[in-house]
Amino acid sequence: MKNKIYLFLSLALGLAGLSQCSSSADERISYNRDIRPILNRNCLACHGGVRQMGGFSLLFEEEAFDTTESGKKAIVPGRHRASEMYRRLVETNPEVRMPPDGDPLSKKEIDLIARWIDEGAKWEKHWAYIAPDTAMTVPDIAEIEWAKNPIDGFVWNKLESLGMQPEPEASAPVLLRRLSLDLIGLPPSENLRQAFLEDQSMTYEQVVDSLLASPQYGEHWASMWLDLARYGDSQGYQKDKLRRNIWRYRDWVIDAFNRDMPFDQFTVEQIAGDLLPSADDAQVLATAFHRNTNTNDEGGTDDEEFRLVAVMDRLNTTYEVWQGVTMSCVQCHSHPYDPFRHQEFYSSMAFFNNTLDRDLTSEFPRVNLLSPAQKREKDRLGNYLEAKRADGDTVTTEFKDKLDAFMAIQPGRVPVMQDFHPDSSRITRVFDRGNWLALTDTVQPDVPEVLPQLSRDSLVNRLDLAEWLVNPDNPLTSRVIVNRFWGRIFGNGIVRTVEDFGSQGEPPSHPKLLDWMALRFMHEHEWKLKPMLKDIVMSATYRQSGKISAEKLKRDPYNALLSRGPRVRLSSEQLRDQALYVAGLLSPKMYGPSVMPYQPDGVWDVIRQVARWETSPGDDRHRRGVYTMIRKTSPYPSHLTFDGTSREFCVSRRIRTNTPLQAMVTLNDPVYTEAAKHLAVNMAEKSSKPAEQIQYAYKRALLRPADDFRLRELVDFYEEAEEHYQQHPEEAKALLAENETKEPQLAALVNVASIILNLDELINK
Amino acid sequence: MKRKLYNELIDTHQNYLTRRHFLRDCTLGLGALALGTMGCSGSEADDPTEALLEKISHYVPRARNIIFLHMAGGPSQLELFDYKPTLDRLDGEICPQSFLEGKRFAFIRGVPSMLGTRVNFNQYGESGAWVSDLLPHFQDAVDDVCFLKAMQTEEFNHAPAQLFMHTGHARSGRPSMGSWVTYGLGSPNKNLPGFVVMVSGQSAPSGGKSLWGSGFLPSLYQGVEFRSQGDPVLYVSNPNGIDRELRGKAIETISKINQREFEEVGDPETLTRISQYELAFRMQMTVPEATDISKEPEYIHKMYGTEPGQRSFANNCLLARRLVERGVRFVQLYHRGWDSHGSNDFESLDGGFLQRCNEIDQPMAALLKDLKQRGLLDSTLVVWGGEFGRTPMQENRGGKTNKFRGRDHHKEAFTMWVAGAGIKKGMTLGETDEVGYAPVSGNVHVHDLQATLLHLLGLDHTKLTYPFQGRDFRLTDVHGELVHDIMA
Repeated sequence: MKNKIYLFLSLALGLAGLSQCSSSADERISYNRDIRPILNRNCLACHGGVRQMGGFSLLFEEEAFDTTESGKKAIVPGRHRASEMYRRLVETNPEVRMPPDGDPLSKKEIDLIARWIDEGAKWEKHWAYIAPDTAMTVPDIAEIEWAKNPIDGFVWNKLESLGMQPEPEASAPVLLRRLSLDLIGLPPSENLRQAFLEDQSMTYEQVVDSLLASPQYGEHWASMWLDLARYGDSQGYQKDKLRRNIWRYRDWVIDAFNRDMPFDQFTVEQIAGDLLPSADDAQVLATAFHRNTNTNDEGGTDDEEFRLVAVMDRLNTTYEVWQGVTMSCVQCHSHPYDPFRHQEFYSSMAFFNNTLDRDLTSEFPRVNLLSPAQKREKDRLGNYLEAKRADGDTVTTEFKDKLDAFMAIQPGRVPVMQDFHPDSSRITRVFDRGNWLALTDTVQPDVPEVLPQLSRDSLVNRLDLAEWLVNPDNPLTSRVIVNRFWGRIFGNGIVRTVEDFGSQGEPPSHPKLLDWMALRFMHEHEWKLKPMLKDIVMSATYRQSGKISAEKLKRDPYNALLSRGPRVRLSSEQLRDQALYVAGLLSPKMYGPSVMPYQPDGVWDVIRQVARWETSPGDDRHRRGVYTMIRKTSPYPSHLTFDGTSREFCVSRRIRTNTPLQAMVTLNDPVYTEAAKHLAVNMAEKSSKPAEQIQYAYKRALLRPADDFRLRELVDFYEEAEEHYQQHPEEAKALLAENETKEPQLAALVNVASIILNLDELINK
Repeated sequence: MKRKLYNELIDTHQNYLTRRHFLRDCTLGLGALALGTMGCSGSEADDPTEALLEKISHYVPRARNIIFLHMAGGPSQLELFDYKPTLDRLDGEICPQSFLEGKRFAFIRGVPSMLGTRVNFNQYGESGAWVSDLLPHFQDAVDDVCFLKAMQTEEFNHAPAQLFMHTGHARSGRPSMGSWVTYGLGSPNKNLPGFVVMVSGQSAPSGGKSLWGSGFLPSLYQGVEFRSQGDPVLYVSNPNGIDRELRGKAIETISKINQREFEEVGDPETLTRISQYELAFRMQMTVPEATDISKEPEYIHKMYGTEPGQRSFANNCLLARRLVERGVRFVQLYHRGWDSHGSNDFESLDGGFLQRCNEIDQPMAALLKDLKQRGLLDSTLVVWGGEFGRTPMQENRGGKTNKFRGRDHHKEAFTMWVAGAGIKKGMTLGETDEVGYAPVSGNVHVHDLQATLLHLLGLDHTKLTYPFQGRDFRLTDVHGELVHDIMA
């Protein structure tokens, strides 16, 4: 135990040393760097948003410098000896000394506070609420041989200051596989593999562009967004009825990613598309984002109570997704650690409190809408039919087929956001201690004071909020968003707590890099995600090998310094998609209603049986994971096992785990067994020699041949397995379940294929 | 060799993933570390393979395991334990206005009538506890049990109230008690999950799988459902045509190649994966063995009323004992169908309710007796109860008296019982008014019960925290008082 504590201490100090250089004697004290962490740790629980003991709070500047209840000032700038705060920190009488419980502050900490006061007690806003400096200097990368773009300048400078070196570039097959899994969520196509690895007819950059242009790109990144949107195919809570049309919103997201809709537009349409002047159907469909909240259909529930639960969820989700602010902390009292007041929760909530929905089973209001893909197809067919009709050419089979197809494309009623008319707006009141039955002051829609203010020419609504979020003056949005994408690629954000940019979150490992990326995203890429992602994957930082030397594991255990390439376990969707892809089973079909791949009997038995799991026919069993039906109270089992979320609420990052149940999934889940069988059949078709069969599968999975050691292990296993099946032909029959010739050989290959699908190198990128 | 390498790694560098998450928060919470809060000393759990190893509790535990028998739907305390002769006399009378003012009900509207019971009560055991005739087997067990007759919750709808009971919060997204406990304590048996859930009865508990979800805790702490049909644990069986011998060889090959991968790449996560595959292989043995009740002796089957292969509360009670015997930390049972509104025969006190009583009576009495005869009751906590109770009034849905005899949801006062490790025997805490509507003394709030259960397991509910979204969360939020009166 002692060792552990020591470990933590050294680690903590090590990290602190990396992320913030503590001030030396001749340097000016910085409130954010030197003082705030001490206060957060020791003082804010009693002198923060929840409690202001003695009339003293450290959350807001004016409160910190105000006279306290005792009539004394806690902080007198310039004079630490006159400051009550200092006096109480050095007090020897434990009854009077602060903090009242536990140990006194260290001499070093107290000295820092005294120096800060003497230097004028200059207050600073928390870093995240100060907009990035547009005049920042970008490292000159001409001098850095390793660097490929400015990202590398920031990374290099930090490594260099610590006397560390980056890793060399990963081998081409490893890099290509990583790149493809990162950008489209799948291994690269055979064409790309050939072009990049074998004939070298494509450069790395061309591969990047090709992947970014691939339609699978949107399917991959939609999964990330849908976690935030808490998108599922059901209503949640007790009955958890299916939302049979909500998939059109999922398709909207995939389509928006594929078209690289600028993120500001992506934001405005989802938060307030309905309020845009002459909003089109797609913009209305986008607002289903906030109708993914749960609807409580249990008998005897108070609809107003659960309407408010949904409204508060919308507020909390909006602030978590776009601002990295934990607004839910402010529902019952002012924020304990960050400068958000209790009342500001309700003024912020007022933006969302004016919609017509009210927790009804029908999910009113709903609008009959086509998905973007449906609309495109309908337009295409419509144009064809129009043209033929104009020519009088309407009696062909082709015309009839297209007419049928045209008629078959039907809209569905999708729950969307709709506001009351401004004249009959709902009134929003502050709930005393968060209790919705204890209404107090009336509030108007507004944004928190610590953030840039809205221009108040007229009455503000949800659309104003949406536009405020993507106003370039908002210090948070572009940082928070860039960080989310960075986090998905590197496994960790530059701010590791992607959901919390507040003072309890982690500070950025590379603050200037984050700011440079955020500014470039807004101003140079004009909120387009693809060029931003391209910046990331083109960097030498990204292309580094993922090898971890013992020294680096010690100095940079979590790769916070980006001293190596990302090596991270794949997501539940990526793993399943990859297995199906490697086996040649993955269906390329895009869009449409959610599908039900094979799921063991009885999984839905322990939830309300208002719907049945009916395995989808044909290829629909082998669609990408993003199309798998998600019933919120009982999501697809292997998705949960690999840390997927239930989509009942917004989740910013899936905590990656490594468990025996995961091993059981990739070994025994029939999806993986089926993949192994198909892979085995393909292996058998390619060659009759086990070594060649194995090399085919290994290369198919990992883009490179197995080395001698691995090949020998796999061939040895194959031989044992074949022998085993020779002796137990009934087992081979049971495994293959059909009349195959060469049963023992094929059965052995299935086992080999399963091993390959379970290798650590395949489970990680 | 592998083991040695692994140990070296533990000592020299911090692992990824779960571990990293813990560490991140610990670096922020050094002050907290000094105070020994669980959020950080739980860092014993930071290595994924060791996460479920037994950990040091906050103080000496009274209980090692817990079996929570949740009666989903909310059984009527008035027909089972909270004997109210006055209510019987008032049967059919108009409900006093004072009961209704300022109160919210799920279904009662306007002025309902009082509803007497139609069951006999008697006192049993040396403790003289009141139990109705509906639980003839359980009557013999009362001297081992402590009744909490003034339980209170804050929610009167099923899903929120069940979430509140099991996660301390009425909305989904928080870890369940079993997740908290395994996060805090690990589990003594490495080869079985630490937190097991079994479901029986009609349909499903209303809170869905969020009731045993791990919320913001790593998913390794989520409850693992043991199923009555098919694989006892999903994907525990090898595919048809792959036997254990061959599977063992396959895992050996996987491990060898992964070992090579580790030597080349150096990611400690790879070593964890090697151990997890080996653990999975062991679990493929231990799970079917633990869940196979067919080899239990006849007298045990008689005692519980079990029939191998059935989906029943009885089977699940016997399984609960077998799992606790094998060291599973937290066993959660759900038995559903207690929602006796009187809206139809199934949901009425004269219909479905009687069947439910019949289904649970013998098995739960047998469970207590069996644990006791094996000496396990001294180290196991058994908890029984619904998410709320029922009103002393006849439900009048929408203002019209329901067709059958039934009661609405009631959050102000209901009965639960606890038994076993660290609990006083043959005692009753709490009392309700003459008709069982409101508590008179000995109120125990759900958060108090949670705090007390954690305490008995050796965990301080104020210190069992996890940092999430900028603050330390706990099962009991900012509430919960220990119920000292019931602790032995």
